[in-house]
Formats: sequence, structure tokens, C-alpha cells
Amino acid sequence: MNHRGCGGHREIVRTCTRPSPSEQVYPVKAALSSLVNEKYEAPKAPLKWPEAWRSLSGTFHPLGVTFMDRRTFVKASCLGSASLFLDGLDPKALGDVTMPEPPPIDIVHGLRPAKSALGMPGLFPGRVVEVSDSNSIVRNRVSQPVVRAMIERGMKELTGERSVAAAWTKFVEPSDIVGIKINPSGAPACCSSPEIVREIINGVQSAGVPVGNIVIYDRYEYQIDIGSYQALLPPGVRVVGIQDGLVDAGYDANVYCQATFFGEWENRSYMASIVAHGLTKIINVPTMKDHSASGVTGCLKNLGYGTFNNVARSHRSPYSFTDPLIGVMCSVEPLRSKAVLHIMDGMRQVWHGGPLTQVQDFIYQAGILYFGTDPVAIDTVELEAIEKKRREEGVPSVWEHDADSITSNSHEFYHDPKKNLFYRRPGHIASAGKLGLGIADLKRIDHGRIRLG
Amino acid sequence: MPGPLRTSEPSRVETDWPTLLQDNLRTGGQGIRAAKTPDHVRWHVPMGCSVRSAPVLRAGVLYVTSMAGNLHAIDVEKGRQKWQFQAADHIHSTPSLSVHKVLFGCDSGKVYAVDCNSGKSLWEASAVAEVWTSPVIRDGVAYFGSADSRVYAVDVDTGLKRWTRELGGRVYSTAYVGEPHLYVGCGDGKVYCLDVSSGRTEWSTPTGNGIDSSPAVSGDTVLIGSEDFFFYALDANTGSVRWKYETGLGISSSPAVNEDLAVVGSKDGFLYALEIQSGQLRWKVQISDPVTAPPVISSGVVCIQAGGMQAFDIATGKLVWRAGLGGAVQSAPVLTGDAIYVATNDGEVYALE
Repeated sequence: MNHRGCGGHREIVRTCTRPSPSEQVYPVKAALSSLVNEKYEAPKAPLKWPEAWRSLSGTFHPLGVTFMDRRTFVKASCLGSASLFLDGLDPKALGDVTMPEPPPIDIVHGLRPAKSALGMPGLFPGRVVEVSDSNSIVRNRVSQPVVRAMIERGMKELTGERSVAAAWTKFVEPSDIVGIKINPSGAPACCSSPEIVREIINGVQSAGVPVGNIVIYDRYEYQIDIGSYQALLPPGVRVVGIQDGLVDAGYDANVYCQATFFGEWENRSYMASIVAHGLTKIINVPTMKDHSASGVTGCLKNLGYGTFNNVARSHRSPYSFTDPLIGVMCSVEPLRSKAVLHIMDGMRQVWHGGPLTQVQDFIYQAGILYFGTDPVAIDTVELEAIEKKRREEGVPSVWEHDADSITSNSHEFYHDPKKNLFYRRPGHIASAGKLGLGIADLKRIDHGRIRLG
Repeated sequence: MPGPLRTSEPSRVETDWPTLLQDNLRTGGQGIRAAKTPDHVRWHVPMGCSVRSAPVLRAGVLYVTSMAGNLHAIDVEKGRQKWQFQAADHIHSTPSLSVHKVLFGCDSGKVYAVDCNSGKSLWEASAVAEVWTSPVIRDGVAYFGSADSRVYAVDVDTGLKRWTRELGGRVYSTAYVGEPHLYVGCGDGKVYCLDVSSGRTEWSTPTGNGIDSSPAVSGDTVLIGSEDFFFYALDANTGSVRWKYETGLGISSSPAVNEDLAVVGSKDGFLYALEIQSGQLRWKVQISDPVTAPPVISSGVVCIQAGGMQAFDIATGKLVWRAGLGGAVQSAPVLTGDAIYVATNDGEVYALE
């Protein structure tokens, strides 16, 4: 199907039909029911978000903030040992290396917001809108007016709304405290583009959210600083780094994932307080990157590993347990319910060396944005795109498990795309699908492509 | 290259360094006897949290702010803390010294004046949002910008406001204050020239993206970097662009200048030395990390905190020495006759000799 209109050639290509409503239920919820022991208790008193937010006055000192009476306790007893993995332990993994079994993961939820259709996989399970424009990034600079047009088009296409404001109103309302979860970890070479974040801020404001209710956040303040987000974003928007890099403050001691991967003494990862208590909605703005441990860092990893602390313990060379930990973390409430929209920044596509590389040789200026409410579907599409680029560049698949490819020399890793630090585990995307976070089957994903220029 | 750093206690000659890049002209270590290659650590003090700001020095006391919200006064003789002052929030601001006061901004939006001897608060001035910039003190007035988009001028003795001027974006650029003008970059992408007595805008010049870099002035040329990847030389009187030089990524580093060279880092991982008159590249050198901190020029060398602490020959750009210390986001070293004081992002303060 082709569309023509002002602004040049527009092309929409769909790889499949949109899933029917009956297909939009969590696909494997039933399959997991025997493994997941979920109990939900109603809170005794609803938390008034704006007041709670204001009382935090700039920094988050969450340890000691307790919501024990409405704690939801879920024990995902050895997700890895049963259906998640027996029916598909890295089914695409290439090579003869035997991966160790993942350990059991215990999770303790925080407060789940009132029931809503907005939580992952959200309003549009399985739908991915890809908008590209070759003018969006020129000489490594992102064009503000071009990405504005891309975001407006993508939001309207995702929601089916005729106006941009109506599209944003599907996800946020004026009383919301909206967190925009950026990915600054590859700053400055590849991070969530400030130009895109500015346009998302404009969109959120168009739905009536006051600028003071918008928070740009990530875990590491110094990475945000290197990206200069503080200086580049509009006045009034709050920019929050959960921790300064040394002190693990800013996390809720009552909401966590617990597992021992490599005998580490601290085997818990706690949820960021700003997510557990401060925000009412989250818009996720991941970047499009290869990841040395998880295969790709996309929506799921940006949310999961950008919300919980102490996550690097999940991978120790050459092994990685990012699968299933990433998906499990994204399933923890209230993160799952609050993450309502994902806009993947594919202006720059890192096809090797992620997530931290600064080597421009492996950063392709793709000029793409993906829109969706289903992080699993977007990451599935992203994974295919990175695999395609790697094939074009003649380097191994991220599924490749070849002992000869493993190196502990970081310089070699950063400069040789045939080398890697870990056996990558991109199976976390499918695992997240099995946790009901979205659709990982490419054949069932409604992938619309719009080319603006 | 020197061997591993070691500790000792030799004698020293200290030189005051009361504000960011030493003085209001941002001369850095120029005029100070050449900083020799350090080969040992006289002392180091752990701060317990990250340090983003640069230290300042007066009368044998080093003042360091930290992300835990503390201002530390450290006796440089022994590396012992004399006192510390607790502010309300994180501190990114480099302190400035005025007679017996030390001034600094805070993420709470306050600017504090603290007594240098006692560590007691003297006054507080309030902005609406965080103050990451360093207060610049001139003729009894402190000038600072805030994330609330305003530039403030306050009385150094009382903290009372003389004037405020609202700009078009967040202000994370530390002003260059001369007479009669003040120059500052802004998140709206413009370089502003304000009248120091009233805050009136004399001119503004747009760049292609927001500005995090702090300006320097050489003669009648304002020098500043932008996130649009360019380094600009502007006519100080009119704001017209004399030349601009393109780097590979954004520039949040602030330039150091001597008689004819401007040295600035870029997030592309290079340090550039450009001729102020023409904008011609004299040399560039690759650092192992993105460069966001300001370089400091001393006699014969330019020092930068990126990829550790490194010093390059000012004439050629060749590496003179390197110390494998923690990196820095915006910190810059204090250079004295015999010592170099360095604060790192991983929360250590070092005295190198």
C-alpha cells in the first residue's frame, strides 16, 4: 500500500495483518500459570501521586519507604527450568557451547496501579510502526524538524488518531507524572537523541501534562551528564539520575528480583523508587543497539536493566543470564503497568560493540524510529534489523555461540566485530513474550513501515 | 612515562586558584612555573561519592564540592579535612572564593556563601531550579546561571539580588564576566552578551543546538563550543561569527586559551588546538574517552581530565605524561608551582607532585 502526501513519498508496507482481538491476549499466560504463584493485596490507602512526587524534592531516598501492606509476592520459581526453556531454550542459538541453566528468580512486586489496559503489552499488542526518513540524521546530526514530523506521523499511525494530541491522550492525562526513560549508556556516540526526547516532551505536553510533571530519568546521573541532557531539554522538565555512580541510593528495598547467578554476595536487584512510587506513566525511549551479553539492548533491556540496580552481575564472561532476567524484571509491578509507550530511537544503529561503544565504524546512521506499546514486538523487529545489518557486514549472528569468538580483551572486542565478551542471549525477548509482555513471533507482528523521505 | 605513583612529603610553593580555571580571565596555569611531570601522590582523600566539579585553592586550603552535597575544606599540607559543610542536595557547581567566603551552587536551587575559616553558612540565594554553574565573582557581585533559564547577579556580601535576566533555555554554562559585558551559553543554543550592571541583553547569537560549554574570551573574541559539533569564535562586541570549527560530536568542554591558541575537547574523543585568529587547526590529539571536561593550559603543557589525567605539549600536542586516575565529567585540575590537585568522578581527590 502506498500513500502520497505533502513532505514527499510515503510508503507503508505491512509484513502481516494485524492480530485479531482474540490473539491479543497474553499468549503464554496459561502456560505459566502452574509456575507463577501470584497474590495481590489491595492497598489500604491509595497513594496520591502528585503530592508524593512533590514531597521527594529533587532526589530519591527510597530506602525505608515501605508499602508492605500491599506488597504482591510472586515467586517465579525457576522460570528457567520449566516451560520457558524446555520448550525453547535459545532455540536459535548457533554452536555447540552448552549454556548453564539459569537459577530460580524470586520477585517481589510493588504496588500495581489500578487495572488498566495500558500496561505492557498495552493498547496495541504486536503492532510496530516503523518510520524512517533519510534526512533525519545527516552528518551524524539529528534534525529536529524531521524527527518532529516522524514522531507525529508515527503516533498517529500507531493509534489510528487523526490528531497528534489525540494520539498522545491515549497514553497520558494531565494528572500523570510522566517519566521518559532514556538510554544514555552509550553517550555521547549512541544514546537517546535529545532532539527526540524534546519532541516527546512536546507530545506529552500536548495531552495537557504540565511540564513540571515530566521527568527524564535513567540510573546513572553521570551518563546523563555526558549526554548534556540537562542543558538541552526545555526548562521545567526534571532530569533525574537515580544514582551518582557510587552510591546505590534511589531504590526501594521492598521491590526486588532475587537470584544467585555466579555466587555473588548481593543477589538482589531493587527497583528504582522513582518507578515504584514517583511516576504514574513511563514512556520508554531505548536506542537500537547490539549488546555484548543480551544480543540487543532495546525496549526490554532499557526498561528492566535501567530500572533495577545491581544488574551487571547477570553476566560474567563468557556466560550471560540476561535471559531470562531482563524479561522477568520488566514483568515486575508497577513497572509493567506504568510502561505504556515505547519509541525506539534508531537514528543510530549500533551493530557491534554495544552498549557502550564509541567506535563510529560500527554505528550505522539508520534514521529510523519504532513506535509501539508492545516492547517484545519492537525488540523482535529490532533484533531482525541488527541481524540483517550484521549479515551485510559479514559478521556472525548475535545467536552465534562460538568459543573462538570470545575475548576478554576489551580493545579487541571494541574493534573486531567478530569478537565478543559473552555468549549473547537474545532469547530474553521470547522469554518476555512468554511472560505475557508481548508478541515475539515475527509472523504475528503487525510491522508497518512508513518512509517519509 | 613515569612509573607508579608513590607517596611522599616534600616542600611546596602554592599558588591561589580561587575560581574555575584559576581566575576570571580563565588563564589556568599560565604564568605559573611549568607543571613538571608528577611522579608521586602526596596524599589522596576519598570523598565517598562522585565529584563533578573542579577544586579551588586559597591559602593552603583546597575546596571541593561533592555529589553528596558536601563542601569540603582540605588542608593541602597534610591532605586532612579542616571542615565540611552540608548543603541541601547534590552539588555540581565549582566553588568560587571571595575574600573570606566560598560560594557555590546546589541542585536545590540555592547558592551558598560559606565562611572559609569556620565552614558556617553566611547567606543563601535562591534560584527556581538547580544551579550547576560556578558563581563568578567580580567587583562584589556574584553572577550565576540556573536551570530555571535565568542568569542572576547577587551581592557577594549579602546574597541579595541585583538583577535577574531570563534567557531562552536552561543555563549550565558558567558565565565569563568582564567589563562591561558578561557572556554565557544557553540551552536554547544561543550565546548571550549581557550588560553586567543591568542584565540587559546586548546581543545573542544562535548556534545549531544547545550549549553546555562555558565561554572564554581572548581580546575581543568570545570562544565557546556547542552541541551542534562546532566550536565558535564570535566578535565580543557584535556577536557575529568570525569562524567556526567542526568536530565529530557535541562540545560541552570549555576552552582554555593562551596568547594565540584555544584548546577545547569534543565528545568525539579529541582534544583540539585552534588558532584564535583564524580558526586553523594547529593540532589535535585523540584521547581514549569522550572529552567533556575543560582543559587547563600551563606553561608548555595543556592538561585534561579524560581517560585519566593527561598532559600534552602545547606546541605539538604530543603526550608529556599521563596518570591513570579516575575520569571526570566537568572537573579540571588545579595547577600550582609544585603540585597538581585533581578531583575525579570516582570520588577521589589527589595531590600529585
